[in-house]
Amino acid sequence: MATIAKEINNEVSSVSELSPPTLRQAVDKRDELTESSGHYYGVKELSLKASDPIKYERFYSKIHSSVLGARESARFVAASPGSREMGECLWGITTAEGDTLAVSTGFLSHTAIFPVAVRYMAANDYDVNDGIEDGDVYGVSDGLTGGVPHPGDFYSFVPICIEGEVVAWAVGINHLMENGAPVAGSWATFSVDTFMDGLVVPPMRTGRKLKQETWWKAMWERRTRAGTMNILDDKMRLAGCAMIHEATHKLIDEFGLDYYKQAIREIVEESRRRVVDNMKSTMVPGTYNGAAFRMAQYKGLQTIWSHADKNTLIHIRASVEPNENGLMVDTEGTSRWGNHAYNATPGATDAALFLGMINSFSHNTKVTAGIELAVQRNYPKGSILNPDNEYTSNANPWAQTITLNNIGFGAVSRAMFCFGYLEEAFCVDGNWGAWQGQGTAKDGTAYGFTNFEWLGGSARGAWCFKDGEPLAWAAWSQMATIGDAEEFESTVPPMFYLGRKLLPGYFGAGKYRGGPGESAVHWCVEPGKHIGITRPNGGLSSTASVALGMNGAYPGPSSFMISARGTNLDEVNEKGLAPRDARELLEMTDSGELKVDDLQVWKMDCPELSMKNNDLFVDAAGSSGGWGDPLDRDPNAVIEDLNSGVCPDYDFVKEMHGVIAEQAPNGSWTLDQASTDAKRVDLRKKRLSESSDLKDWWVEERDIVQNAAFFPEVGLMYNESLSFDKFRKEFTSFWNLPLEFNVLEG
Amino acid sequence: MEDDISISKGIIEQLVEGTIDDDNVDRLLKLPKKDSDRFFTYIEVLQERVSWNDPILLRLSDKLYIVSKGHGKRVTQCECGFEFGDYRTNWKLTSKIRTRKTAEEMKAVYDPAPAVPEAGWQEVREYFCPECATQHAVEVVPPGYPVMFEMLPDLDKFYADYLGRPLSDASEDWYQDKTAETTATWNQ
Repeated sequence: MATIAKEINNEVSSVSELSPPTLRQAVDKRDELTESSGHYYGVKELSLKASDPIKYERFYSKIHSSVLGARESARFVAASPGSREMGECLWGITTAEGDTLAVSTGFLSHTAIFPVAVRYMAANDYDVNDGIEDGDVYGVSDGLTGGVPHPGDFYSFVPICIEGEVVAWAVGINHLMENGAPVAGSWATFSVDTFMDGLVVPPMRTGRKLKQETWWKAMWERRTRAGTMNILDDKMRLAGCAMIHEATHKLIDEFGLDYYKQAIREIVEESRRRVVDNMKSTMVPGTYNGAAFRMAQYKGLQTIWSHADKNTLIHIRASVEPNENGLMVDTEGTSRWGNHAYNATPGATDAALFLGMINSFSHNTKVTAGIELAVQRNYPKGSILNPDNEYTSNANPWAQTITLNNIGFGAVSRAMFCFGYLEEAFCVDGNWGAWQGQGTAKDGTAYGFTNFEWLGGSARGAWCFKDGEPLAWAAWSQMATIGDAEEFESTVPPMFYLGRKLLPGYFGAGKYRGGPGESAVHWCVEPGKHIGITRPNGGLSSTASVALGMNGAYPGPSSFMISARGTNLDEVNEKGLAPRDARELLEMTDSGELKVDDLQVWKMDCPELSMKNNDLFVDAAGSSGGWGDPLDRDPNAVIEDLNSGVCPDYDFVKEMHGVIAEQAPNGSWTLDQASTDAKRVDLRKKRLSESSDLKDWWVEERDIVQNAAFFPEVGLMYNESLSFDKFRKEFTSFWNLPLEFNVLEG
Repeated sequence: MEDDISISKGIIEQLVEGTIDDDNVDRLLKLPKKDSDRFFTYIEVLQERVSWNDPILLRLSDKLYIVSKGHGKRVTQCECGFEFGDYRTNWKLTSKIRTRKTAEEMKAVYDPAPAVPEAGWQEVREYFCPECATQHAVEVVPPGYPVMFEMLPDLDKFYADYLGRPLSDASEDWYQDKTAETTATWNQ
C-alpha cells in the first residue's frame, strides 16, 4: 500500500548537545528569532527563492499537492456523509513548531490553530517524556489544549521525523457526525462545563506506525453515538495524513533536509510579507468598530445545575486597526465566560476570525502561518473568548465566534469600500445552522446524528453594487454545498424532507438586498422507539446576526425554527398538499388547513424535542444583510422580486422601499412610477417627522441606562463588559456617567 | 511583485453606479494584485457625482463623505450637502434617530415575523440625514447600547504612507475620537 511502510526513525529520547532539539527548544527558537527580527524565524532574505525560483516553487508545489491530494483521495476512501458529501474536512502540513506550510481546500481557517496542540505537546515535553516517533498518530478535540473550535471537530496529527527530529506534522481534521455529549449531536447546545461537551481529548497518542491502536476504535464505539461513522472519519483523516507523511519523506529525500528546513522558513516569511502588503494596499487605516449579540436561554431548562439556571445575553465586541505589521483585532469589551455552551478559547476564536482574514488576504499567496503573524489579536483573559477557568464548556463557541468573523471580515469589507475596491465590498453576515440528535429504532438500534446542510452553504450579504446571492458561500469553506437531501435521509432514518428551498422575504433589506436564507421542512415518519432533535445554530439567537447594517441597510435577520407536533399531515397529504418551508407552514396553520396540537416557534436554542409520527421540524437559517438605503432601491428590482416570489409581501415592500405597484388578475405586478416617486417623498418626510435629534434621544435613553430600565439580562451583559476598561471608558463617556458607573442589578 | 495594472475610469463608474456586469466583477476579483491608482480615480468619479465642490478626502458610506473645507476643517458631509461636523466626532450625534423598540415596530423592517429580533433584548435604530432623510446607518443593539462610531479613519497616515500624497493640513491631532467631548456637554 502506497501510503504506509516508512521505517520508523530514531526516537527523541534524551537531550544533549548532540541530540536534535526538543520540541520545546524548537518552539523557543522559532519565537525568539521571529520576535527579535520581526521576520518569521529571522528570515530577512528569501535567498532560495531568489537564487532558484523554479526549484523553490517546485518544492512548494509538491508540499501543496500532497495536502490537496490527501483531501481528494481520503474522503472518498472512508468517510461519513459530512466529510465525503459536503467536504467538512481539511488536511494540512506544518513545521515542527506547528506553523502551517500548506492546507487543502476545505476548512481553511483551521490553519490558524494547528500550533495550539503542537505547542501544548512541546510545553509538556511529550517528546522528552514519552518520545515522539515517525508515524505516530495523535488525536485532539480539546479547545483549550488543541484550539479546536468545537469538540465535534476532531484532529489527527502525525509527526514526520528525520533522524529523531520532528521536522513536520501532517494534520487531518473533520467534523464528526456525533461526539457523545449528553445533548446528542456534535455541538451540545446545553452544556455547563467541559465535562458535558462529549468526547474531548487533549493531544494524545492513539496509534503508531500510521496505524490506530485497537483501544481507540473501542473509544469511538463506546463513547459516541455514531461509532461506525466516526471510525470511518478517523480512517479518513489518518489515510490523508499517511499520504502527506509519505510525500514529505520523499520531498526531503529529493531536496535534502537542509534545503527543506531553510525553504519552509522562507515560504512562511514570503507569505507573511505578501499578506501585510495586501492589507496595506487595500485597507484604509483607522479604527473600525463592530458588535454582535447572542441570547443563551438556559433559565428554567433544568433543575440539576443551579449555577447554570440563567439566561445570558452574549456581547461580542471588536475593533480592527490596520498597522505597519498587518492589523490588530481587539475584542476588549466582549462578555465574560459563563456556565453555558458558548465559551471559546483563543484557538477556537482564531478558527473563526481567520476565515475572513485568509479569504481577504491570502488569496494570492501561499496559505501559511504567515497570516497569523500579520493579524495581532487581543482576547482578554476572563472573556468568553479566553476564559480564566479551564473547565468551561466549549461545546458551541461557533455560535458566537462566527459573529467575530463577521465583524472582522466586515471591517475589511468597509475598508476596501473606502479605498475604492468596491468589487470586494459586501455585507459580511454569514450564518449557519444544523440539526442533530439521537434515536432508537424499532429494533432497538441506537444512533446519533448531525445534519450539516445549512452549515454547507448560506446566503451572501448584499454587495455594494448588487444583491446578494442565496446559498452561494460559506465563509468557512471555499466550496459552498448543502449536500444531497438523500444523504441526510439515509443518515437519520425517520426524518424525510417535505421541502427544502429558499425562504421568501427572508433577508436584510437595503438598496441591494441580502441573499435569501433557506428553509427546510423535516417530516418524522415511524421513528421507532424514540427520536430527539436539537438545533445548534449561529443565528438562532433572537438577534440580528450583527449589530451594524451596511450603509443604511438592515443586517441579516435572526434564524428560527418551528416544531409542529401532533399534526393532521395525513389528511393534508391526501389533498396533495404539504408545507415546503417555514412561511408555508405558518400560513397553513393560520388558515386551519394544517392542524397542530403543539406548535412552537423557537427563536433561541430549544431543548431536545421528541418527535412522533407525522411531526414536523422546520427551520429557517443562513440569511444575510443588505447594503444601502432601502429607499434607493431600483423600483424595478422590487417589482422583479414581487413577481419572482423573492419578496412575497407587497405591503411590506411598499413601506420598506416606497414602491407602488398594481397587480393584474394573473397575479403579476406592474410599477406605478409616479405614485412611487410620491410615496418615496412621503416616506422621507415620515422619517424626519418620526425621528428625534440625537441629542434629545440621548437625554431620554440616558435615564433608561441610569435606572436600568431594561431586562435584567441586559444589565448583566453591560456589567460584564464594563469590567473591561476599554468598554467602560467608551460606555461611561458616551452616556456622560462617572467612570465607576455600573448598571443597577435587581 | 506583478507589474502594476490600471482599471479604467469607466469600470469604476459602473461599480459606483451598480451597472457593472458579472464578467467584469469577476475579472476585478481575480486580479493578482489590486490596481494601485484606484483610489484617486475613485475619488474623481465620486467628485463628479456630487453637487458641491468641497474636495472629497474619503467616502465613508454610499452617501457620506469626509471632505476638506479648507482652513484646517475636515467634516463629514452628506451627498445632499448637509454637514455633520468634524469627522473626528461620530457623525451620528448630528443625525436624526428613529428607534423601533416593539415587535410591531420591528415587523415593519423584518419579515417573516419569527425572524424579528426579540423586543426588549434588541431594538432597531435608524440614523437619518436631517436634511434629505437618507438612511445612513442601522444598528440592531440592546437598549442602552452606546451609539457606535463605525469608523474613524487615520487620514494623514493613509494619504502619506499608503498613497504617497500627504495632505497639506496634516497633523497628529486628526486621528483621535472626539465624540465624548460632545456628549460631555449634553447633560449640563
